[in-house]
Amino acid sequence: MASLTGSAVSVSAPVMRRIKATNGASSLNSVSFFGQKRSFSSSARLRISCAAKQETVDKVCEIVRKQLAIPEDTTVTGESKFSELGADSLDTVEIVMGLEESFDISVDENSAQEIATVKDAAEMIDKLIACK
Amino acid sequence: MFVLRLFHRDMLPPIGSAISRRLSTTLFPLPSAPLPSRREAHVWYIKPEEINDSSSLKQYTDLLSPCEKRGVLSLSGEQLQKNAILARTLVRTTLSRYCDGRVDPRSIKFKKGLYGKPEIMWQDGDNIIKRPLQFSLSHTSSLIACAVALETPLGIDVEENKRKTVNSVISVARRYFTASEVEYLAAIPYPDIQQKEFIHLWTLKEAYVKAIGRGFSGAPFKNFTIQMGSNKRAPKLHIEAGSDCEGLTDNCQFALMELNGSHVVAICMERDRAISDDENNLLSLKVWRTIPLIEDEFISETEALKYICSLS
Repeated sequence: MASLTGSAVSVSAPVMRRIKATNGASSLNSVSFFGQKRSFSSSARLRISCAAKQETVDKVCEIVRKQLAIPEDTTVTGESKFSELGADSLDTVEIVMGLEESFDISVDENSAQEIATVKDAAEMIDKLIACK
Repeated sequence: MFVLRLFHRDMLPPIGSAISRRLSTTLFPLPSAPLPSRREAHVWYIKPEEINDSSSLKQYTDLLSPCEKRGVLSLSGEQLQKNAILARTLVRTTLSRYCDGRVDPRSIKFKKGLYGKPEIMWQDGDNIIKRPLQFSLSHTSSLIACAVALETPLGIDVEENKRKTVNSVISVARRYFTASEVEYLAAIPYPDIQQKEFIHLWTLKEAYVKAIGRGFSGAPFKNFTIQMGSNKRAPKLHIEAGSDCEGLTDNCQFALMELNGSHVVAICMERDRAISDDENNLLSLKVWRTIPLIEDEFISETEALKYICSLS
């Protein structure tokens, strides 16, 4: 495919190292540089409360990988957006079902609507579990 | 020498021909399409597998807005990026067809409706016709489709007809569908047919929530039932009693078809309240396969299109 003109790829190293991909490899090594841009907001780093547990993030990544049949060389991290991974609405509902089953929780449609990234899902899960 | 090869709408392209695939240097005017009539939906679709040359993709990319280009770059992997380029190209070129050659596909601006449904945002300007075009876009990895109507809101959803769910069909239905839909599916003894019927229901429900502009999260699937007709009759919609479904209309029509033996396409169009006579209120469809700016093929009335539920 033609290489697209785009802004220079910027990958914020600290962000990538912070969250390990579930396949065990350092996500920094497996980053694809094909025009992929990860925007890193400094305000996210300062958020102390509500940060999802690493364990939850990893489990969510695993469920997402399975649902979307994501190839091994594609990185899935907490920052990954479901839409950017190619999830359509049927995938999204199945991901939510997978999360509900894995974590023994119940997700209402409004909460499901607010989940855009793996991290969002993990945070919501941790909150739901804490409230049980 | 750049050549725009455009087939007459009713012609099939020669099979196996080595068509010189080069885009015209003048991107517009695009071939004009006659406007859809009142109860008509026009569907234009792309098969991504048919478009692989980098120069075409580069030219398509040039049609996109800066924001769309950024959106494409944010996607993971070549396939997703290519399909996103094709999807935006399809929307822009399709809408441009219905503007008498006076609107450059690059110039079209979009906005989002109340619940996020994309709409055209006509700009003030000399050459702009502010046509009340309604459109809806859907894609799977192997098919991208754009439906257009004049004035009447519509929604389209496409899915591979062999799409399998990771969870069982019944468990997904129990979680998201209404009790009567679950009952309907559960009564089907053959897994293959059950899976197909699930996909039919799914695409019809998606088409509906897109037509009413709410999307999946704005109109949860448990709030309404799609009742499949017997003997290939058109499906009907019922709003569930007691659902918090403010503004959900049941005044709409559906079309369900199979394309190329590989994809299910569902269309939902709101009925015209002004016309009470059902005879005059039937939904009709015209369908084209396209490689934007290169070739169009009218495929209604060919073997490529089969109605799963009849329109009349």
